[in-house]
Amino acid sequence: MELSKFELSKYLGVEQNTIDRWIRQGKLPVSRRGATYSFCATDLKRWAAKKNISLNFEKQSPLEKKIGPLISLTKAIQNGGVYFNIQGDDVKDALNCSIETIQSIPQEFKPDLLVRLMEREQALSTGIGNGIAIPHPRTQPAYLNEPLVAICFLENPVDYHALDNQSVFILFFILCPDLKLHLHLLSSLSFCLRDKSFIQFLKSRPDPEVLIEKIEVLQTSNTL
Amino acid sequence: MQTIKNIYKAIYYKLFRLDDRLLLIIAGSVAGICSGLAAVVLRLSLEFMIEWLHPFRHYWWALVLPALGALLSSLYLEKVSREGAGHGVPEVIYAVSRYGGLLRLRSSYSRLLSSFLTIASGGSAGPEAPVVMSGSAIGSNIAKFLVLNDRQRITLVGCGTAGAIAAIFNAPIAGLVFSIEVILGEWKFVNIIPIAIAAVAGAQVCQAIIPGQVIFNHQPFNMMAVDLLPSLGLAVLTALISVCFTKSLRKIGGLAKKSFLPFWGQAIVGGCIVGAIGIYMPLVLGEGYRFIQTMISGSFSMGIFLTFVVIFAKIFATAMTLGWGGSGGIFAPCLLIGSLTGVLFHKVLFVLFPTVGCASEGAYALLGMAGLISGVMQAPLTGIFLIVEITGGYETILPLILVSSIASTMSHYIEPASFYLKDLIERGQFMRPGTDARILSDLSLNELIETDYIQVSENMVFRDFINIIKLSKQNFFPVIEDKTQIYKGVIQLSTIRRYALEPGMYDMVFLNQIMDAEVVTASLGDDLQDVLDLMDLNNMDNIPVIENDRFIGMIAKTKVLDLYRRELIMQTNIQ
Repeated sequence: MELSKFELSKYLGVEQNTIDRWIRQGKLPVSRRGATYSFCATDLKRWAAKKNISLNFEKQSPLEKKIGPLISLTKAIQNGGVYFNIQGDDVKDALNCSIETIQSIPQEFKPDLLVRLMEREQALSTGIGNGIAIPHPRTQPAYLNEPLVAICFLENPVDYHALDNQSVFILFFILCPDLKLHLHLLSSLSFCLRDKSFIQFLKSRPDPEVLIEKIEVLQTSNTL
Repeated sequence: MQTIKNIYKAIYYKLFRLDDRLLLIIAGSVAGICSGLAAVVLRLSLEFMIEWLHPFRHYWWALVLPALGALLSSLYLEKVSREGAGHGVPEVIYAVSRYGGLLRLRSSYSRLLSSFLTIASGGSAGPEAPVVMSGSAIGSNIAKFLVLNDRQRITLVGCGTAGAIAAIFNAPIAGLVFSIEVILGEWKFVNIIPIAIAAVAGAQVCQAIIPGQVIFNHQPFNMMAVDLLPSLGLAVLTALISVCFTKSLRKIGGLAKKSFLPFWGQAIVGGCIVGAIGIYMPLVLGEGYRFIQTMISGSFSMGIFLTFVVIFAKIFATAMTLGWGGSGGIFAPCLLIGSLTGVLFHKVLFVLFPTVGCASEGAYALLGMAGLISGVMQAPLTGIFLIVEITGGYETILPLILVSSIASTMSHYIEPASFYLKDLIERGQFMRPGTDARILSDLSLNELIETDYIQVSENMVFRDFINIIKLSKQNFFPVIEDKTQIYKGVIQLSTIRRYALEPGMYDMVFLNQIMDAEVVTASLGDDLQDVLDLMDLNNMDNIPVIENDRFIGMIAKTKVLDLYRRELIMQTNIQ
């Protein structure tokens, strides 16, 4: 197999001018035909093995790790769903009822998820103020197939040990199998929740369609 | 027809291009033969000229002869061939370490001519360095003709050098050792065989053209255990003399630079002084091989005091010749001073201990030569093998090793750099393979620069800039002027972090208010060594590169380290 200078520069991880210089100084096994150079892959491999140089022959460079396409917040909400009138008097109760209600979580994982969510709450409350909480597990639940954000309006506001001591009336569950996506969804959600008018809008307990549409509109103003 | 062509091509590639050993051996022997020829030509023409000028030496006006020679030689070097004065060995070493042995074609004859003028007229210098220069230039140009790469060219330069030295002294091993020890500076398997063959070729050329007329005839010497102690004393003496020689060469050369004479005036003054000394002591004139021969054969007739004076007269005359415009090497003067030192030591020893049965005067002259070569060039192996080959036997090997190693160690202690390398070290041009300077000189800024940077306008509002930060991965943002695209400064994320976390400031400031305009910058033509020093001095990890007021890219220390390591791997394990 013949390699070009460009390919070789990628395999060795250096610039093309460096390859040029190495050819000039006689440091690479190269065959020259006129003004062009070509490198024989087997010769190169033998040479690299002798000198203990790692050749990066794989097609994919290690930097481009497989990251799925980032999912939008609205899509995640559509995955998770919007639920109203969740019962519950304290944090655990509210979380339990919410999880039971959310349909997209497989039944057999619900107890485990509750344990994880409670662990997270005990470490530090996820109530971010203004009556909003974003419960999520600290380690990613790998058993979920796709990321989901579920919105649960509580029947009665619950004391959530939030930072501003306001009772929480809405829970945004972020359940995501991948940490990268989790952070992405969290940052998108925080962006929306920074908007005061949006919080007022939430307090009016809008219909799911209207809510998603509103979030869609808010998202477009986010450049991230 | 086509098949024959293909077979030829295949054989050609298999034999010569893929594995270059055969190619190097053949080309190296050609280089050895050519440089041997150059050496023989210089030697024969020198002998002829010296013979021809001999009758005129007795006249008083003979003192202007060296001046005339030095004048012509310096005029030729300065005006015709436009090469600097001096002996040329440092230039070869520098070319080998910096430019892969690239030498000009005219170097292959210019030094021969200029040193011929200097030495034939009576200047005190040696023909070896010019021959080395011309041999290495021949090797370099053979490599250029065959379109070889740097590594192969360096080998051929070594071949030319070895052939030249081998031809002059009829000593192939000394040629090989000199070439590797002094010129190339690294013992590599691939180099040794071609260079050895070239050395033998050079020596054979000399023997074929002037058979039986070698400079130093083989002489058997008997050295015994009793000579070991005196040779210790001789080693110390030669070390002192060689340090004195090196220092005076440089001091007197420095004097010439301080005097306000033009280069031709310096040549006239220096030549006249040498000529004046030569009228009273003809021994200092020329390369002095004849006197070495008389000393080795034991028929040297000067007394102790005169010998002592002649040593310093020779040192002074050589320094005057080489420092004040003449052209030539220090190899032959070293040999002459060394043999004088040996003879002096032997005479003093004989006066002090008349009953001690130590070896002859000639043997001590040889030891002295080895001591001075080892001391001045700090190349003990060259000294040892040269003398071993001259004596044609290993009887003297133990005292030889003693004298050479002690002399080179002592002079190294007093003067850490050898005469050949001192200039290079002072100019920062000493780059032997595997040294830091060599690696840094090989890497150019072009290979290290990262150009993939988003540039921002100086009139941008901070809020827009925050949005750019969110999307990009870079830590440095070059700031440019809107219309002209001229570089104004750079924004480093770590320094603006405080403002970036303060949303109140987003609409308050423009980028030219928060950029750092005083950052030290480099340009593409700079040496990496200087750029790294600059970064160390200013405690930077990244430096912007600016060319013609335009931002080109950044150089990061991490990238330097990465390529430095690769370069080290490449340089240390070549075959």
